[in-house]
Amino acid sequence: MAQKNRYGFVIDVARCIDCRACLVACRVENEVSLPHTRIWVKDQGLRGTFPDLAREFVPYNCMHCEHPPCIEVCTSGATFKDPDNGLVLVDQEACIGCGLCVEACPYDARYLDPTRGVVDKCTGCVHRVERGEEPACVATCLGGARMFGDFNDPTSEVSQALARATQVRQLVTDEVDPDPNIYYLNGDVMQTGLLPRPPRYTTAETLWRGVAIPAVIAGITLSFLGQAVAFTKQLIEGEQEFEE
Amino acid sequence: MTRIGPHVSRRDFLKLGGASVGALAAGAILAPPAAAAARKAGFIDVAGDGTIPTMCEMCVWRCGVLARVRDGRVVKLDGNPAHPHSRGMLCARGQAGLMSTYDPDRVLHPLIRVGPRGGGQFRQATWEEALDLTAQKMAEIRDNYGPEAMIFSSTHNLSQVQFENLLSAYGSPNYGTQRSLCFNAMVTAFLLTYGVEEPARNYDRVKFVLLTGRNLLEAISTSETAELMEAVARGAKLVVLDPRFTKTASKATEWIPIRPGTDAAFLLSMIHVIVTEGLADCEFVKKYVTGCEDIPAAMAEYTPEWGEAKTGVPAATIDRLAREYAAAGKDAMAHPGWRTSNFINSFQAERAIATLNALSGNVLTPGGCLVAESPEAAGIPLGKPPQPAYPRVTSMRLDGVPWKYPLVPLKLGIFQNIREAILSGQPYQAHGWFVSRQNPVLSIPDRARTVEAMGKLDFIAVVDVILNDTAWYADVVLPEASYLERYDPLNIVDHKLFLRQPVIEAQGEARSALWIYKQLGERLGLGEFFQYEDEEDYLRQQLAPLGAELQDVKYKGYLEVPVEEGDGEIVFGTPSGKIEVYSETLAGAGFSPWPTWEEPPAPAPDEFYLLTGKVGQHTQTATQNNAFLHQVEDEPKLWIHPAAASARGIEDGASVRVTSPIGSVVVTSLVTEGIRQDCLFLAPGYGHASKGLRVAYGVGVSDSDLHVTYTDPISGGQALSQTFVTVERA
Ligand code: SF4
Ligand code: SF4
Ligand code: SF4
Repeated sequence: MAQKNRYGFVIDVARCIDCRACLVACRVENEVSLPHTRIWVKDQGLRGTFPDLAREFVPYNCMHCEHPPCIEVCTSGATFKDPDNGLVLVDQEACIGCGLCVEACPYDARYLDPTRGVVDKCTGCVHRVERGEEPACVATCLGGARMFGDFNDPTSEVSQALARATQVRQLVTDEVDPDPNIYYLNGDVMQTGLLPRPPRYTTAETLWRGVAIPAVIAGITLSFLGQAVAFTKQLIEGEQEFEE
Repeated sequence: MTRIGPHVSRRDFLKLGGASVGALAAGAILAPPAAAAARKAGFIDVAGDGTIPTMCEMCVWRCGVLARVRDGRVVKLDGNPAHPHSRGMLCARGQAGLMSTYDPDRVLHPLIRVGPRGGGQFRQATWEEALDLTAQKMAEIRDNYGPEAMIFSSTHNLSQVQFENLLSAYGSPNYGTQRSLCFNAMVTAFLLTYGVEEPARNYDRVKFVLLTGRNLLEAISTSETAELMEAVARGAKLVVLDPRFTKTASKATEWIPIRPGTDAAFLLSMIHVIVTEGLADCEFVKKYVTGCEDIPAAMAEYTPEWGEAKTGVPAATIDRLAREYAAAGKDAMAHPGWRTSNFINSFQAERAIATLNALSGNVLTPGGCLVAESPEAAGIPLGKPPQPAYPRVTSMRLDGVPWKYPLVPLKLGIFQNIREAILSGQPYQAHGWFVSRQNPVLSIPDRARTVEAMGKLDFIAVVDVILNDTAWYADVVLPEASYLERYDPLNIVDHKLFLRQPVIEAQGEARSALWIYKQLGERLGLGEFFQYEDEEDYLRQQLAPLGAELQDVKYKGYLEVPVEEGDGEIVFGTPSGKIEVYSETLAGAGFSPWPTWEEPPAPAPDEFYLLTGKVGQHTQTATQNNAFLHQVEDEPKLWIHPAAASARGIEDGASVRVTSPIGSVVVTSLVTEGIRQDCLFLAPGYGHASKGLRVAYGVGVSDSDLHVTYTDPISGGQALSQTFVTVERA
């Protein structure tokens, strides 16, 4: 492992009761403005027929992947994997709001905040972790479904949970496997419709984004910085809207 | 809690989002000054930042909260690990609590109605004017018609003790609580059987949990919900009786979609098996249970086959579950439930639950699952301000307790009967209603009748934090400070005294209930019943016998009180001192002394049972205007089974009309396998009447437009599932 620690989540699907305390906790802790969110609970819906029924709830948020597609496309270097803890973070001062990473993330775990013109997503509550606290969503999990910690530390709660588990799943397919750092216990998660998707944009767009945007940015650094950044953001956001 | 502690290298120059961003933009307009008291207490540094322990009020479980404050604004609420009800967690409602405080729809100034009642037109008034007017009207009613013409109603607030003080000092017997719409059946049954209102549950070593309609994973009590999930993860067996596939049912080992109204039959059949097969904890039963020798004879007719005919659950299943329950011995728990206002026979279901627990001997044994000990029995001597004796009340209660309903505890009462008495003018005419933090317009069945009753009153005053539906019909609205802005009387949990204290300054002119009641008392000439300077003085007087300083309690948020160990001798607070499975009291009042079967009414072939129940994101009507909760709630829809739906040409998401004997509503359908074919389900609390609730108004419909008023003659409970309805495409 390149980094010192490898932080991530273990989620015991059998214990999620879909209470949504984690959703509200994340919003308040991180001042995520309505209607956006950094965290979801996917309700798989009922399976079976009355009275032989089953229902599972699959919580998710950014998977803090080992090989994050979001970083590969980030042109400004704002998205990075923290070498100390492995968390995938966005430096919002540096983010130009191009939204490429939003398209690239196979789990749709990012959103573009149009009012701030930056991309936002789960930070692993790194500011709480720094203080020695659990992430907000983990600390308040009523069902005891969510765990967070260092997979490189064999004594951590997450490592222990994985060691004890009889069934562990990552949400990956043969085609798309960024080695996500959320490990699921006990649920039929492969049926959830949460399996990673390939990047959404077409080759032409990839080309435009991979070549033209960096070119513009390179240009900016040589010219009137402030004005141009604003202009580029506008340009890109405009294009973003057009696309949808 | 796991401790995790690295440092983050790029942290210093990073902006990872949040912090300066306006998630609470709405609230930002209302930014209060930094809480001076909190700063004085040392919670908050010069910058206005810090953490203050207090208590949640988003439901009545009252979790301990650690409120994080920045620049005099509360920015995050975390569960207090030191509080047994939160254990470091808060549910969605608790997490969203600060949005209720910063709700742009808060009522922050006293209001006096200017237009017609229910028109929603108010003008801002000073406290002086609003209090003077309220007291003057209350005095007029007392002088003209006697104090009994004034109804007081409020439920389950920590300030309840001072609300009751105002009521008793004023001299009215008419006390309306929400309880008959909720747990009268459970409380009355456990009082009669064990002498305690609500036994505490202990999941430490439970192996078999029987939930009779208790939807613990959606009707959330933070610590208990978490404890149940831990027990299930440990391998405890969870059996859920519910006509609906709730989230609790989805985690159950066995879900029994029992026919509504037949819980008592199922439970009586279990008792039959246990006593006829000699599977009970005989030693315990002989020692502590009345009528022990006669139980088998009294239960003789309730065979599993009889149970099957009533409940639709196979006799073999009842027989097997009874044996499994008995085999778990003291580690089996038949949960008492909470909102048990379902059918007129719900009281008998509760008596059967009380009996099942007695048979397993789990009550009061070390580590036993049911602790039949009242919280007051903790024996903590709290002080209170000196006061004269209350005036003698001689008039009858409007709700018929006890003159028509001898067994309903006075402090529970029968709320729905008060409404009927206003309308009938019998046994006398009521003239005024003082409501505090309660919403009878939406909670009592048959909303149209409740609104009609309000029209007959000369004066209505409402204390609340928000313009709820009842406040919408009020003449005066008195704005209470939110739970993050005020003190309340102390709360005892597990030998600890917990404090609710302000973590921010009250916004606008909102004031605590302790202050409001005292102001009214003084204006009514009842000042000697309110001998406290202010909230802190009240708390100091409460703490005086314990020799504790308020400052210390404020700092920790609680006070641990040493308690004397009991001598191990178990005496139940019943007339016999035993567990009264056989009850002379019931016999004396003309009811069956044994838990017994009462046949409930059933719907006609084209009708449905209309079920109600909770969702995990709301507390009845009170939280629905919270924008954070609104965002995570499911759209309230009418659940209907696919077979019932297709027979009526109803597709999922279709607009349907539901009609009961008293009204009809149009709502969106949710076609789901998760409900019996003869049942419909509607989440309660929606369909608000107040346009002062800008988030909640216009969302969903209210089951109070459909519910027929049916009252259990023993417990006074409202039978909420006894209303039968039809459904058709709208
Ligand atoms: S889940 Fe998405 S946003 Fe998170 S690291 Fe993986 S690719 Fe990036
Ligand atoms: S770790 Fe923090 S930021 Fe990430 S989902 Fe949980 S609460 Fe939100
Ligand atoms: S807090 Fe826990 S139990 Fe509740 S929805 Fe989130 S993950 Fe599930």
